[in-house]
Amino acid sequence: MAEFITTYGFLIVSMVFAAMLALSLYLPLMTGQLSLASPGFYALGGYIAAVMSTKVFPPTPQGEIFPLVYLLIEMLVAAVASALLAVLIGIPALRLRGIYLALATIAFVEVVRVLSLNLEITGKAIGIFGIPQPFLNKFEYMWIAAPMLILSTWFVYRLERSRVGRAFAALREDELAATAMGVNPTYNKVLSFTMGAVLAGVVGAVSAHFLNTWNARQGTFDAAILYLAFVIIGGSRTYLGPVLGGLLLTALPEVLRALAGVEFLPAFVAQFLVDGRLIIYGLLIALATIFFPQGLITPTMLKRLARRGT
Amino acid sequence: MFKAYRPTRFILFLFILVAALSTQFVFAQDQEPIKIGVAVAQTSNVALLGQEQVIGAQIAEAYFNEKGGVNGRPIQLVLQDTAGDEAGAINAFTTIIADNVVGIVGPTLSQQAFSADPLAEQAQVPVLAPSNTARGIPEIGEYIGRVSAPVAVVAPNAVRAALELDPNIKDVAVFYAQNDAFASSETTTFQETVTALGLNLATVQTFQTTDTDFSAQVTNALALNPQLAIVSGLAADGGNLVRQLREFGFTGLIVGGNGLNTANIFPVCQALCDGIIIAQAYSYAADTPINNEFRTIYKEQQGKEPPQFSAQAFAGVQVFVEALIRLDNIVPLETLDLATTRKLLNVFVLAGGYETPLGPISFTPTGEIVQAQYYVAQIKMNEDGQTGVFTFIR
Amino acid sequence: MQFTLFFQQLVNGLAIGSVYAIFALGYTLIFSILGIINFAHGAVFTLGAYFTYTLIGAKFGFNGLLAQSQLPFGLPFPLAVLGGAALAGLVGVIIERLAFRPLRARGADPLLTLVSSLGVAVALVNFIQYLVGAEAYSYPSSAFGGLPPSVNFGTPESPLIVRTVQIIIFVVSMLILVVLTYLINSTRTGKALRAVAEDATTSSLLGINTDRLIWITFFLSGFVGGIAGTLVGLSVTITGPYFGIAFGLKGLAVIVLGGLGSIPGAVLGGLVIGVAESLVPASAIGYKEAVAFAILFVILLVRPQGLLGRTLIQKV
Repeated sequence: MAEFITTYGFLIVSMVFAAMLALSLYLPLMTGQLSLASPGFYALGGYIAAVMSTKVFPPTPQGEIFPLVYLLIEMLVAAVASALLAVLIGIPALRLRGIYLALATIAFVEVVRVLSLNLEITGKAIGIFGIPQPFLNKFEYMWIAAPMLILSTWFVYRLERSRVGRAFAALREDELAATAMGVNPTYNKVLSFTMGAVLAGVVGAVSAHFLNTWNARQGTFDAAILYLAFVIIGGSRTYLGPVLGGLLLTALPEVLRALAGVEFLPAFVAQFLVDGRLIIYGLLIALATIFFPQGLITPTMLKRLARRGT
Repeated sequence: MFKAYRPTRFILFLFILVAALSTQFVFAQDQEPIKIGVAVAQTSNVALLGQEQVIGAQIAEAYFNEKGGVNGRPIQLVLQDTAGDEAGAINAFTTIIADNVVGIVGPTLSQQAFSADPLAEQAQVPVLAPSNTARGIPEIGEYIGRVSAPVAVVAPNAVRAALELDPNIKDVAVFYAQNDAFASSETTTFQETVTALGLNLATVQTFQTTDTDFSAQVTNALALNPQLAIVSGLAADGGNLVRQLREFGFTGLIVGGNGLNTANIFPVCQALCDGIIIAQAYSYAADTPINNEFRTIYKEQQGKEPPQFSAQAFAGVQVFVEALIRLDNIVPLETLDLATTRKLLNVFVLAGGYETPLGPISFTPTGEIVQAQYYVAQIKMNEDGQTGVFTFIR
Repeated sequence: MQFTLFFQQLVNGLAIGSVYAIFALGYTLIFSILGIINFAHGAVFTLGAYFTYTLIGAKFGFNGLLAQSQLPFGLPFPLAVLGGAALAGLVGVIIERLAFRPLRARGADPLLTLVSSLGVAVALVNFIQYLVGAEAYSYPSSAFGGLPPSVNFGTPESPLIVRTVQIIIFVVSMLILVVLTYLINSTRTGKALRAVAEDATTSSLLGINTDRLIWITFFLSGFVGGIAGTLVGLSVTITGPYFGIAFGLKGLAVIVLGGLGSIPGAVLGGLVIGVAESLVPASAIGYKEAVAFAILFVILLVRPQGLLGRTLIQKV
């Protein structure tokens, strides 16, 4: 078990972060807004933590760990900065819909990337490195990652059942009808967009420590599409879908890597698992959409499970 | 085809996942091969570099095993793909460390090193970086070293070589890939050299390694009539930039950074590669016994001259093997457990001197490479416009 | 900016803009009829370039499953381009059959197709690397047929230089624009296509074979992508398995800017972005990459349907 954790501790925590990033994309989707802005806020949060921990806070003495309270402050700053930026961008951008909104948010992600390649404070191409560690090993990040995931999942679960959540759902199903019923579309859309941004920003702040370094390669267009895949494959109609999608799809390439090490496999299969790992990964994504068009988890299924439970 | 959703299917999937993760490891016993990890980018858009590194490391594996391995005990490479990102590098490193390797050659990119090397440091596994040139890599920790020279020494030589060829150079245009750590470290050195030599730094133009069109940058630069262009980038982008500089009528000298030190640029700029002056940390023409052997094997396998990335990966494996031999001569390896082997290996790596294809190398106490020879070469293309040679000029 | 410099950059912009345009045409064809974005287009574009390379009888490198192999024959370059494009078109049809049709049959969310095509793209790119390695491949320089690599339209004192291959790309993308416009506006198939684009259910009730038209569209998109891939490969060499993917994001910006589903819009969008990027002042060149997206953001806020797009009725 101990060995399993040293080897897979990093992966397990990455899976938890991925689940939250998927949730951050799911939040605006609750109002029917396809926003791909999460990686931009993720990058922003990461830079805030990277800069604060290496330049603002006093250096951590040799042999000591980075105080947890500093990390919490960074997360708070990342949350506030993400929220402000989200409102600023959200108000004009959320008049757009569907693919237009997706593209506008991608434009934001791309502008963040180019800015960080050009600015001194973000370390240009090399980025910021030597970010101090608040934990002794990667698996201990669970102390912060697990509560974050539980809290954010619980929050979205409660949200779906609240008055605001019902307004979100109404906007998603039929904006015209919802507006006629007195739901304020702009307010609710910006709200859901901002909540997603805050979540992504906070995850970014912890990830900067978790990855030891931060640079412009974090939070890109590719990442945005990947988060979308988490949501779609997990299931875009319930809060559990993105969580499961993020967990599974992050583990998948590593599972394929591990499978190649299984002893009894014929040599050519093992070799293909090594060389063709990403071919299989891509095909599995395509197949998942075909065989599970509603995603792995659907509201109907949850209801059925609930009925069986009682 | 599946019609409806059944939860059993993904419960099965979860089961396979857990099964796969738990059947992984079998402990290596004594007299089994000594495992050396190679964690480089075998996929993603930096796979070209990783591919060359794998070839170099594999040549080293076969070469040293034929010579008797570590005092009779063979070595075995454990390859893991880091892909091109930071998380991939960490995953590859943790997998490889759990696989009981004594040391790791990798990763491919400096940004990945900043991310993954601290894990090896914490696990006390020696790492030799085959291609990380950014400032601050050996300083990550006492277990981190590199066989890839930072360009501070070699870059100025190339500019001086250009001045010897054309003493009339006054204005210089500098180009670099702004999204690449290697290129943006290198360009700083180039720009400092240009200013230090009393030349006029006419313009600095940036691009991305994924770019293929450089007409805007080339036009901006040529409007200032420079006599020298300096390019820091990688093979595909650097080659295209050179090609477009020439096609837009630039006739001055071109200095290419270390990233262009590969035959992979020949198919890109073809006949127009002719005359590029290249700063080299490795020259295949270096006439040493080990390089001649390495070069022969590489040419047999790959049909072309060995690139720097292969030579550096070879050197990485070689350093580990030779340090292991010296360690084994003093304390037999089978008397040591893995953790002690790794610790002592790190000490022995840093203490030794090595005759590698890169020339004689050794390390500073922090793990920075001390390389005796750097080269400046000029590309001469053959008549067919597809193949060429690097001719040594300095 | 001096006048000659400005003019040269304008020409550069049109040249690179036509590369964006020729890439984006493949996206837009499929969007115009299915209302979805085919992320695998970048991979099809890449494959087209590799197919042509194979068909001229050139040899592969030392990595991958097909190391050192080559066809026993070699086609002349123009034939190989068409052959490569036809094969790329075929791959387009296969992708449609495997990744798009099953989803369409279930009336799935367009987002699903986006993710599915993404999966196909990841698989294809890695499959290319599995077969032929990650190295760059170039067509023999004789493919130009003895043309000079660049042409000076100015004087020796104030040059105005255009690379020959860029002129070819510009001409071909205009040609494709004309042919596609003719196909869609003046042929029976084209009219049927437009009907399907307007309303697939009604058109199938009217006896139009929707499935047939959709695979024709995918073939056309793949064919155009294949030609584009080869031409861009001729211009900058096939830089590796990610060759086409690099244009994917810019291509998206182009079609949205031009107006989703509009064929002339894709061309106009490409040219506008190309020119805007080229006119970035020399001192701010580091921000060149952001220009396309900054323009896109502003245009979307001012004119959400894009430059030549129609106002779409929101369906999602």
